[in-house]
Amino acid sequence: MLLRDLYGMAAHSVASHPLRSLLTAGGIAVGIAAVTLLTTLGQGVQRYVLAEFTQFGTHLIAVNPGKTETVGMMGGILATVRPLTFADAEALARLPEVQAVVPGIYGNGRVSAGRRARSTYVNGVNHNMPEVWRFQVRAGRFLPPDDDAAARALAVLGSRLKTELFGAESALGRTIRVGERRFRVVGVMAPKGQVLGFDMDDAVYIPAAQALALFNREGLMEVDLLYRAGGDEARLVEAIKRTLTARHGREDFTIVTQNQMIDVLGRILGVLTFAVAALGGISLLVGAVGIVTIMSIAVGERVGEIGLLRALGATRGRVMALFLGEAVLLALGGALIGLAAGIGGARLIGALVPALPVRTPWGYALLALAVSMLIGLAAGVFPARRAARLDPVEALRAE
Amino acid sequence: MTVLAQLRFALAALAGHRARSLLMVLAMAIGVAAVVVLTALGEGARRYVVGEFASLGTNLVIVLPGRSETTGGPPPLTGLAPRDLTIADAQALLASPAITDVAPVVVGAAPVAAGGREREVLALGSTRSLLPVRHMTVAEGRFLPGGDPERGPPVAVLGATLRRELFGNRRAVGEQIRIGDRRFRVVGVLTDTGRSVGLDLNDLVVIPVAQAQALLNAPSLFRILAQARGPAAIAQAQDDIRATIRARHEGEDDVTVITQDSVMNTFDAILGTLTLVVGGIAAISLVVAGILVMNVMLVAVSHRTAEIGLLKAIGARPGVVLRLFLAEAALLSVLGAAGGLALGYGGVALIGALVPDFPVAAPAWAVAAALLVATGTGLLFGVWPARRAARLDPVQALARR
Amino acid sequence: MIALEGVGRTFTVGGSPVHALVDVALAVRAGDYLSIMGPSGSGKSTLLNVLGLLDRPNAGRYLLDGREVGTLNDTEQAAVRLHQFGFVFQFFHLVPRMTAAQNVGLPLTLAGVPAPQRQERVAQALAACGLADRAGHRPDQLSGGQRQRVAIARATIMNPQVILADEPTGNLDRASGEQVVGILEDLNRRGMTLIVVTHDPAVGERAQRRIHMDDGRISADHAR
Ligand SMILES: Nc1ncnc2c1ncn2[C@@H]1O[C@H](COP(=O)(O)OP(=O)(O)OP(=O)(O)O)[C@@H](O)[C@H]1O
Ligand SMILES: [Mg+2]
Repeated sequence: MLLRDLYGMAAHSVASHPLRSLLTAGGIAVGIAAVTLLTTLGQGVQRYVLAEFTQFGTHLIAVNPGKTETVGMMGGILATVRPLTFADAEALARLPEVQAVVPGIYGNGRVSAGRRARSTYVNGVNHNMPEVWRFQVRAGRFLPPDDDAAARALAVLGSRLKTELFGAESALGRTIRVGERRFRVVGVMAPKGQVLGFDMDDAVYIPAAQALALFNREGLMEVDLLYRAGGDEARLVEAIKRTLTARHGREDFTIVTQNQMIDVLGRILGVLTFAVAALGGISLLVGAVGIVTIMSIAVGERVGEIGLLRALGATRGRVMALFLGEAVLLALGGALIGLAAGIGGARLIGALVPALPVRTPWGYALLALAVSMLIGLAAGVFPARRAARLDPVEALRAE
Repeated sequence: MTVLAQLRFALAALAGHRARSLLMVLAMAIGVAAVVVLTALGEGARRYVVGEFASLGTNLVIVLPGRSETTGGPPPLTGLAPRDLTIADAQALLASPAITDVAPVVVGAAPVAAGGREREVLALGSTRSLLPVRHMTVAEGRFLPGGDPERGPPVAVLGATLRRELFGNRRAVGEQIRIGDRRFRVVGVLTDTGRSVGLDLNDLVVIPVAQAQALLNAPSLFRILAQARGPAAIAQAQDDIRATIRARHEGEDDVTVITQDSVMNTFDAILGTLTLVVGGIAAISLVVAGILVMNVMLVAVSHRTAEIGLLKAIGARPGVVLRLFLAEAALLSVLGAAGGLALGYGGVALIGALVPDFPVAAPAWAVAAALLVATGTGLLFGVWPARRAARLDPVQALARR
Repeated sequence: MIALEGVGRTFTVGGSPVHALVDVALAVRAGDYLSIMGPSGSGKSTLLNVLGLLDRPNAGRYLLDGREVGTLNDTEQAAVRLHQFGFVFQFFHLVPRMTAAQNVGLPLTLAGVPAPQRQERVAQALAACGLADRAGHRPDQLSGGQRQRVAIARATIMNPQVILADEPTGNLDRASGEQVVGILEDLNRRGMTLIVVTHDPAVGERAQRRIHMDDGRISADHAR
């Protein structure tokens, strides 16, 4: 028997009960639509979060004081008996392939200019910050390349802070107070928006040494390294570890590369997406039960036809293939309808929420088709075997 | 025809196609069970987190140094601010009648060594008040001594894990340890608490706050934990704290005050929503099951055309035929819902047995909703086939084979 | 061509055996025209099913063209049915959703004949049974006689050696019955072996060789 004829026959009998077939396929369609919609949205969220991270570049390595096992995610926030120093940062800057280093210390403080004041984030950094974090200066310039340990009292304002303190006036050259200290404004940053809940524009950037003095603290919270594109990250991490261990006499710091962060995050979000898709898969399971039911009914209705086919010389295998083919067709048809609905729904949500980068996951779509084919096969096996095992004489007598 | 007779008729019709009826019941049951199990997991997660928060202390108000005026943003987690939050600030809060107890906290990472073994752990500087405020208990010895918090003897209380790592089976209380470059005497060991949100209370060492400040070179407190007199006093406590600190900080509002409740409520709301969404996704499968019931009932109507014709010929009114088929659909959904409940509660019990620490429990609203949706869809999707049956013309119905 | 030796077929009904065929010996030559008659339950249909390899005897041998076919496996028997036998049933057994042409073409489809060739042969077979203008009709749009002629066209489409007909006129009025028997006899004249089970003596008498069955045994075998 030609494969084309086999499918022709299967399609023909599926089409001969249009309403019944449509409803059966509808069960699978709802399941596939749910899975498609949920995975598309899940991937959208994943892409969104990863984009938030990669906007800082991927050739970044962060060094925090303290070992991860002890302090977990709290990294440099906690005080430690062995702080990271400017000298450490300088030593790291001399490593090969390192392009720029930013010593960092972050806190909150009251920033005032004239009679206006605002409590905001105070970020202690150095002149390399715009290059390492990919930030842009809108007016004036960023902090000058002073010696890290003895930098002058200059400040650069985030765009929101600038507006809050100076309105439409120019801030360049003006004096502000951060805590009890006076700084001269040399630049204003371009707006950056929110990154994972933090308003990057509501901040003031001052030299790290000034921030240490302001917060009355000894050690840095973090040292960020930018390495040359194409550099060997693993080797550099080793070099950092060696350098700092030699300086401190022990490994009392934690190195996290941006790529690791992105990896871990991507994996977590991937697992979440998968979990949500699996939830939608329950509907698919119910849809499969629907195919089993309807195909069983069909076998019952067509006992005489099965007997006839056998009398005409069809083997058991052929009868089985015919009914399996019908089940697969039902599942595939449902999957196509479901894909169309799911993709359409996702596009609609994408149009309504422009921030969410919704893209049709064609890989997933193909997978959905393959899965629904398997579902059709699995759901069809039980009824198709019943059909194939019918005794032809009995089957012919049944009518 | 009485209702009972109708039901018996429907039951007989279903029993006549046992495999098919069982499959439909199975489909319904999968949907109901999925809703029950998934919402039970969501609810379990919610209860777990709420329980964890409650174990951190009750009616807690937390004071962080620094403040940010960006609304909706995260609080100033780093705890760095130009003006230090001091032990004196913490003691001053006790003046408020709304506050019963105050524990100043300094946290840092430090290596702890004893008898040749060393381990880098969290060093928590606080006072005797930390014990009641954070709901901690002591397993051996005693907790930090009372007295002036600005001073404090070099004594330490170990977490359960740290005690095991440093001393094994040997006695710990009374022994000397080194934290950083300072010597301390162990006076107590904390009770093993299992895991908890936030800090791992088992792998830390608690020392007097003044000792911690010196050790970690931290002039400012990391947090102040204040306990309000009761749930009603929390708002008052917050106001008093702000006023006290403002007075002590030359009129500046440079701390952030958050309540345990607000943090807990946020988690509560997030996890509650999550449960709802997960249950909703599972409920989609109920709709699929409903479609299946409709489909099979339609098939049944066309198979039983002659039977319907006969019923009508012997005088059954269309209403009776309608109700006969509706009763069948309803029976299927009710059986499915019941099976699903059994399956779902079985699953919940299994999870409960496998993970005893996790308080899984299907929320009543979810169970009720699942049952309602299951029977509702069954009936709703049964209407069309039943109407089809009721409208059949008896002459034509009998004429067809 | 066909040789049955000591063939027995026993069914077990509710624990007790029912002997549908007992020690049946039968030889049929190519081109023969046989009728099988006998009371209800005498084993006529069972014999026909055994001959057509739809049913397996419990005892005895079945040689087809000198080849033992009773012991072939399912797949091999299916191939024999497809190429060497044509069945005609009392209740026609047409697939209700298929047109007359599609029903007739079914064996060709099963044999893997491509569609264009199929169409040509189906048209010929339908024309031979006087149904050229009914090709596109579905069974429920045809009369009983027409349906049985479609079934005969289907039985002959593969040019089988043997036509096995189980009460082909049992559901037809006399005129349609005559027509159907006429077509079958026409096929026999052109060389096909024809074996007809019937309750109608008028039909049975027309065969060259008439077999009578009683209680699973061949009780008479007349040849003209
Ligand atoms: N599948 C079966 N299971 C049990 N008994 C059977 C089966 N098929 C046939 N029989 C029995 O075998 C005997 C012969 O049946 P068969 O159908 O061959 O009779 P028949 O001569 O064709 O009768 P009729 O003229 O009524 O068609 C009968 O007693 C019948 O009850
Ligand atoms: Mg018979």
